[in-house]
Amino acid sequence: MTGIIDSIFQIITGIILVYFFLINSLYLVLVILSIFGIVQYRNMNTYVSFKEIFQMPLVKPISIIAPAYNEEMGIIESVKSLLSLEYPFYEVIVVNDGSTDHTLENLIKTFDLKKSSRVFRRVIETKPIKGIYVSPSNPKLVVVDKVNGKKADALNAGLNVSRYPLFCGIDSDSILEKDALLKMARPFLEAPEKTVGAGGIIRLSNGCQVKFGQVIKVGLPRNALARFQILEYLRAFLGGRIGLSMLKSILIISGAFGLFRKDIALQCGGYRTGTIGEDMDLVVRMRKYLHEKKIPFVFRFIPDPICWTEAPETLQTLARQRNRWHRGLIESLSHSAKMTFNPRYGITGLFAMPFYVIFEMFGPLIEVTGYIIFTVYVLLGDFNQPFAIWFFLLAVVFGILLSLLAILLEEYSARRYPRLKDIITIVIFGLLENVLYRQYLAVIRAMAFLDIAKGKKGWGKMERKGFSLEGQK
Amino acid sequence: MSISLIIITYSLIFLFSFSLALFVYLILRRVVIQHQEALFEERYQKIETEVLELITSPQKNLALEIAKRYKSYPQVLTKVLFDYIEQIKGEAKEHLKKIFDHALKEKCLKDIYSRRLVRRLKTTHLFVVFSDSSEAPHIFKLLNDKPIVKLVAINALSRIPSSRTLSLIFQAFENDSVSTARTYINIMYGLGDRIEAQVRKHLKMPLSEEKLVLLIELIGAIPLRSLYQDILLFADHHEKEIRIKVARALGHMRIPSSLDILFRLADDDAWEVSAQAMKSLGKLGDVQAKEVLSEGMFSPFWHVRFNAGHGLAKLGETGFKHLQKVKKQKKDRYASEMANMVLNETIYSGGA
Repeated sequence: MTGIIDSIFQIITGIILVYFFLINSLYLVLVILSIFGIVQYRNMNTYVSFKEIFQMPLVKPISIIAPAYNEEMGIIESVKSLLSLEYPFYEVIVVNDGSTDHTLENLIKTFDLKKSSRVFRRVIETKPIKGIYVSPSNPKLVVVDKVNGKKADALNAGLNVSRYPLFCGIDSDSILEKDALLKMARPFLEAPEKTVGAGGIIRLSNGCQVKFGQVIKVGLPRNALARFQILEYLRAFLGGRIGLSMLKSILIISGAFGLFRKDIALQCGGYRTGTIGEDMDLVVRMRKYLHEKKIPFVFRFIPDPICWTEAPETLQTLARQRNRWHRGLIESLSHSAKMTFNPRYGITGLFAMPFYVIFEMFGPLIEVTGYIIFTVYVLLGDFNQPFAIWFFLLAVVFGILLSLLAILLEEYSARRYPRLKDIITIVIFGLLENVLYRQYLAVIRAMAFLDIAKGKKGWGKMERKGFSLEGQK
Repeated sequence: MSISLIIITYSLIFLFSFSLALFVYLILRRVVIQHQEALFEERYQKIETEVLELITSPQKNLALEIAKRYKSYPQVLTKVLFDYIEQIKGEAKEHLKKIFDHALKEKCLKDIYSRRLVRRLKTTHLFVVFSDSSEAPHIFKLLNDKPIVKLVAINALSRIPSSRTLSLIFQAFENDSVSTARTYINIMYGLGDRIEAQVRKHLKMPLSEEKLVLLIELIGAIPLRSLYQDILLFADHHEKEIRIKVARALGHMRIPSSLDILFRLADDDAWEVSAQAMKSLGKLGDVQAKEVLSEGMFSPFWHVRFNAGHGLAKLGETGFKHLQKVKKQKKDRYASEMANMVLNETIYSGGA
């Protein structure tokens, strides 16, 4: 019996080792592709003036949709930031999704909103809209007040009310840089027929100084958890998504900052309600639809339009956020499972979906299994000590290499952290994250499978400090 | 030592060395860049002061002196020239061009034939700003280069408005793929009514429908009113997109005699064409359109109702009376709501 268990353990260990080799090799390839992508983008960018884009008569107008639920802390700064963007034609639609705090009241008071009799096409069914408010002093701003129906429902209500052919879904607790829309809209100008969606970089505003709805000074937060996340975001956005975009395999365009063609989104039925990963879900369904209709398309990821958002600073909030993200990922991938390994869906079916399923979805589960097996071996006293130690060190050094490459990408693209000290601090946190932080996140993400099985649907409460106070201490 | 352990050890040594080297590179790179930026800033300020002096109180030979003094700092000098050339006009621009001619032109002419794409691009971009007719032959050669260089070259050519350059731009538009056609349109837009003859010629050529759509859109965007008769020929085109662009162009042109054509387009089978025609009728501002626009308020299509409503609002008092009438009627709830919204919106924005 012991022999059988031992063989099973050895097989699982072998699978984990192969998996480790594959996942790290793939991430390395993605980072290398990202370096090429960023250098190429930077070179071309030097010769195309954004001012010229701004003056072009043919740019498509954009509807920015910002769902808000209990965002009284940061909503005013965010809306001010959205209203001061540089783009020829756009509207800002804030959807108050049945907030129970003073989100709507704050908006009405600050922007002198008046109830409007605006009519719209109810292309997608949503929870009832209680009222639409417009601002005589800010004609770009529209506030939709509706019964709570969660984020996807709020985004759909915004889609119904929107008037322009492109829409940008953003989180109302985020801040867009002034030229972010111009940069995001460029692919839609260069290849308007093919470009269906574009994503930009999300960065953490913790530790930054925000004034008049704009980040005016970039700095590192004092909170250790937020520091860990800075590096994570750099790795995910600069290292992962740009590489995937180069392979035409991007499946996630963050809900905090993504620009899409409205007609295609509507043909796909808008955001799917009842899911918590509505951003990924929309991209996956759009890709599915476009493949099925044989419409040529491209989703682009651009390295320098920047959206600043607040990261959780407590373990509890972080755990809720990551668990939710992973549940969203599992839900979206399961919903479109028939695309996986299906040649009918081109690169999406043959590479993007399998990559996300094997490495992103099951990654934490396999990592946690590895930790459990290691603990069992240690408890039984039956393990190859030098091998285990060297292997752990190898994993740590590989992780650090990926982090350093992500920092290199940051240096090549935006170079937002002005002080050398900041770079050294980020590297140190890249080293420290291998002790407990990484393991903690793997467990939290693996628990998402359990929560899905239990039928957990909620978002969990997010604690916000608001932008105004950040970085000014 | 087992084989697996040996592999892991060597991998670890390699990865660790590589990571360490990368870390050192990152730090050194940052230190060097910060130093370079400080130097650049210092030089920039020096050159900027002198250039400002040149622009505000031009002295004889000052441009030549600046060119001579800072010839060895081409990057900083280029940046200063770029920053100021866009802001100023008239004689002062000539002074900056003189600096370019004496300090940078020679290098540019060498770099324009460089093997490196980035260098060729950078040089061509300089020509976009400083080019004149004497540089045209160099730029013509770049029309056979890679697409990105070709587009920048065409952009440069657009600043040398001769009949030959115009003909070359249109020739490239005609021959290139549809994917780059929109970029040509943006370049052509900057040329204004100088392109009229070429556009007329190309409307008669067997272009792809996508390119035709873009040309008609361009006619409306500038707008090229003299091509009014030419685009009317496309009002009955079988392709919906072309009819939409014709309706839009007619709205931009605001030629009173286009009313009948717009009435016809407002009655088009495709709601997209009809919606655009409603919008253009509003832009025309002719009260004769009130009946057609009022009918549009009862269309089953939201966009048609929306544009018809806003079209009526643009007609002024007569339009408002019609909107009030539509608002009060009880037969069509959707028309009534749309009229109500347009009335409220127009009052808010003061657009009436």
